[in-house]
Amino acid sequence: MAGEIHSEMQCNQVEALLAEILDGTLQGETLKGFETHQQSCASCRAMIDEARAGMNWLEALDEAEPPRNLVHNILAQTIGALPSEHAVVKPRGEGWLERLKGRLAPMFAPIATPRFAMSFGMAFFSITMLLGIAGFHFADVRHWDLSSKGIRRSYYEAQVRVMRYYENVRWVYEIESRVRDLRRAGAPDQNAQPQQQQEAPAPNPKNPSKSDNRRPGPQRQNYSRGNGEPVLATFPAVMLAAIPQARQNRRTA
Amino acid sequence: MDDNQAVNALVRRCVSGDAAAWQEIVQQYHRRIYNICYRFSGSADDASDLAQEVFIKMYRTLSTFDTTRASFMTWVTTVTRNLLVDHFRKGKYDRITDSLDAAPGDQEDGLTFAERLEDKGLSPEARVRSQETQKLVHEALRRLSPELREAVILRDLQDMDYKDIAKVLNVPEGTVKSRINRGRTELARLLQRNYKQAN
Ligand SMILES: [Zn+2]
Repeated sequence: MAGEIHSEMQCNQVEALLAEILDGTLQGETLKGFETHQQSCASCRAMIDEARAGMNWLEALDEAEPPRNLVHNILAQTIGALPSEHAVVKPRGEGWLERLKGRLAPMFAPIATPRFAMSFGMAFFSITMLLGIAGFHFADVRHWDLSSKGIRRSYYEAQVRVMRYYENVRWVYEIESRVRDLRRAGAPDQNAQPQQQQEAPAPNPKNPSKSDNRRPGPQRQNYSRGNGEPVLATFPAVMLAAIPQARQNRRTA
Repeated sequence: MDDNQAVNALVRRCVSGDAAAWQEIVQQYHRRIYNICYRFSGSADDASDLAQEVFIKMYRTLSTFDTTRASFMTWVTTVTRNLLVDHFRKGKYDRITDSLDAAPGDQEDGLTFAERLEDKGLSPEARVRSQETQKLVHEALRRLSPELREAVILRDLQDMDYKDIAKVLNVPEGTVKSRINRGRTELARLLQRNYKQAN
């Protein structure tokens, strides 16, 4: 019945339905009419593709982060008051990560949030390393709120921050010394030989500790340094591999 | 519906002089308002100033909010949009209007958006996610006429339905849809060559 009443759909009708077509909300006879038309009309297909492309670009835009002082400024200009502690609703689960962000904020103020596709393991390592730099101790790890949600939330920010470290030699030296600390703190669990660890806190090519024996010789010779010097050998392979790649990305960006 | 009732109660408390209620409204809506201002004006600094002005205006006119005519969200968006239109009509943000007149190829390095995207040599997914792409789409959005820009911002960035957008813009739903379509299409043309490569 309906098919007899409605003649075949025209291009201008398709254009009028474009928003619904992209929403995927066309139904019944209208949907059938549109599908029949687009099969034989290249110009309508091109029009739909173009509009869909624009929609996809827009939807890929992330929400922008408002300045930290925006709420404060608004309140100061309206009720003339600073945000009171009790009325500010803090999101649940705000823990060490937020505190860490606050602590690191002055150092990383100009850093935006580009995204690199990297492993979750690396993000986790980045976080633990950042915490070490910020003065947290590796041995306290059981007290942190290491929920997967919290880690995921900070995933991109954390890895971007770590990338920036490598852009700055000063930071590399800081990391080297912190990694050494982390390694010391982490070693007793892995080695079950705390006694020996205390006597030989850093790897020494002439007196290799047990943990050093597990590494292939050539790598140790290439990267390990003497006692008290920066210890690049403790970086996981994934980290070392990621550094040149990140630099490459930045150079082309 | 529950959300609407909750926010309406919050507004009533605020109108009766409850500062904590106002503070909560600011907390709840500042991201949305800031983002609309940011994408419309194209500048983070302007967005910060504009968002503050929106809240000052809201604070003064909160008692005129009529729960029977629109949701609070729609009202907030309307206040924001009207303030933006007002500012850009008065030419307070002239340099932005200037940039709208610039041709897409007028970049300082002489490359089009698409060429700049292709230069990166990234995979399609990486391109969409990269910050450079975010920047280019943001710039392309700025080049749309204000009418088309506000329509796609409310639809594709703020996820509003056509009926609410029609209320905010004070035009029929058919006009809203047509502006959204044209806005998306024009944006795609600005970024087109890259899109074809990506597919
Ligand atoms: Zn057609």
